[in-house]
Amino acid sequence: MLITWLALKDLWRERFYLFCNCALLVGILVPLLVLFGVKNGVYSALIGEMMENPAYLQIDTAGNVTLSEDDLAPLRGWTEIAFMTPKVRTQFDYMNVRQNSGRRIRQAVIVPSGTGDPTLPPGARLDNSNVAVSALLARQLELTPGASVQLISQAEGRPRQLVLDMRVGLVLEDRALGGRAVLVPFETLDLIEAFYDAYALPDYGIESGKDIAGRVPAYSGARIYARDLEALPGLQTRIEVQLGVTTHARTADVTSLLRLGRNLTLALSLTAAIATLGLAAALTLSFWSEVARKRRVLASLAMLGLTRRQLALFPVVQALVAAALGLVLSFLLYGIAGRMAQHWFGQGLPGGRNLSVISMGQAVMISLAVLCIVALAAAVAAWRAQRSDPALVLREVS
Amino acid sequence: MTAQGGLTVRNGAIEVADVDRVFRVEIDALDLPPGGVIALSGASGSGKTLVLEVLGLLRPPARGTLYAAAGNDLAALWSRGVAGDDLAHMRATLFGFVPQTGGLLPFLDVADNISLPQRICDRPDAAWCSELMERLGLTDLRKLWPDALSIGQRQRVAIARALAHRPAFVIADEPTAALDAQSADQVMALLLEVARDTGAGLLLSSHDTDRVTRFGIEMRRLAPFGDKPFTTRLEAAPC
Repeated sequence: MLITWLALKDLWRERFYLFCNCALLVGILVPLLVLFGVKNGVYSALIGEMMENPAYLQIDTAGNVTLSEDDLAPLRGWTEIAFMTPKVRTQFDYMNVRQNSGRRIRQAVIVPSGTGDPTLPPGARLDNSNVAVSALLARQLELTPGASVQLISQAEGRPRQLVLDMRVGLVLEDRALGGRAVLVPFETLDLIEAFYDAYALPDYGIESGKDIAGRVPAYSGARIYARDLEALPGLQTRIEVQLGVTTHARTADVTSLLRLGRNLTLALSLTAAIATLGLAAALTLSFWSEVARKRRVLASLAMLGLTRRQLALFPVVQALVAAALGLVLSFLLYGIAGRMAQHWFGQGLPGGRNLSVISMGQAVMISLAVLCIVALAAAVAAWRAQRSDPALVLREVS
Repeated sequence: MTAQGGLTVRNGAIEVADVDRVFRVEIDALDLPPGGVIALSGASGSGKTLVLEVLGLLRPPARGTLYAAAGNDLAALWSRGVAGDDLAHMRATLFGFVPQTGGLLPFLDVADNISLPQRICDRPDAAWCSELMERLGLTDLRKLWPDALSIGQRQRVAIARALAHRPAFVIADEPTAALDAQSADQVMALLLEVARDTGAGLLLSSHDTDRVTRFGIEMRRLAPFGDKPFTTRLEAAPC
């Protein structure tokens, strides 16, 4: 295309002005990119740390409450809930755990769990004979996946112990669950509670006691996990209203971090908006003044027969080339600045994450936005260029 | 290719409005046959450049002007406004221009400056460009930038550029005004020679009537018209 060739020839001959415009872009874009990258990096590190710890998603009913299946049934359809399990009375959720081949016994808390529990790795399944154990308990009893264990309970007034033979399905990581704990399906805990409530459990060798058929299950609360951090505050309120109970959750921490993220985004957006206005004004004036400076060149092109549309493209092509070059330089310098920042300040971030992060998608969006701003700024120059008076060349005497 | 048809103006007028006055140039009749040469003369401010601007489709004539060239109604092109692509295309194909100061593009070397009208008109002819450069003594300068050339060399490049796309007419505004006497004669001779050989009609303006006379060019004078203020008129007969 002829006008592109002419614009590039002129741009190359006047590359000093090209570098001026690039410097203008780089001077504004690089600080913004660093700010944006650091905001992304720090925030995603903090959020990531929260996301990796399911405890931040957990909502527990507080105090002594009694819930029936009818109370909990409506909650099972709520989309904000990722996982929910009823709880038994707290005095019954401790048992002795013994490795079958060993003599060591440790007391551990028995936690109701099941498929979808964020405490478990994705896809992990528990059943009445497969349990998950915490890392601390596994270390103390030298348990590995596949090991056989016994869960043993002794209740006052019951001549026999309840002994449940289980296999270790998986050993959780330390950060997933602290202390000594065993994760079992809720049905196992319900069984333990029935044992304490003096029901006969012939399948486990306990013949004496009340008939289990007459037992109506009652729950002493529920353990619920929100779908994500954003859903947690609203879900906690909704549960409290629905069940008429108070709950515990780390909502304050989550809300505080989410607010920090929103505030950082707002502050960065305001900074970016002001910088964008400045950039657009500076580029508009720069492109305009270049067209004014090149009025004889443009008039010559008009005299030789280039159309107004072609003349309008002349500064636009040059502006877009300057923008593309400015973007490449800006991302290059951002990369260098990001590495330096990571070297000096990045050690304290959780999980060894990068201090400054801009994803490929974000980089593309930023580039498109900059090209749009430059194109708009160049449009003013284009309007000026297409009005070039071809008679100027004959009339002006240098 | 030689020019097809001449250039004709009838009842022509040009008006330029200032803050508190209107300057007017009247052209009752002007005819330039294919291959013909006419020089416009007159005092400074008499409107020579204005006439060339109108004839070169750089400025619109006043309403009522009849202007045709090479079989095209050029006055009608202005009815679609200055933004019309037809106007630019017609200017590109019908005319070549030799401005007083060359009007070369500083970012193109000599060879690219000369071939540019061919690119604009989509009439590539490298052999003709080479011949023009040979005849105008520019072959050794083909890779130089305009700012490395003398004023005389720039004018020769401008002449080559004006003829590169074989236009029907060449419009030259004071083509020798910036040159010393010897260079001016040389450039004028080259302009006339190459224009004649290509069959292009040549319209030039010059205040140097001696040189115009010496080269035997038909001269038409712009002179104040009667007692009308700010009005000149192109005299009907050659001086």
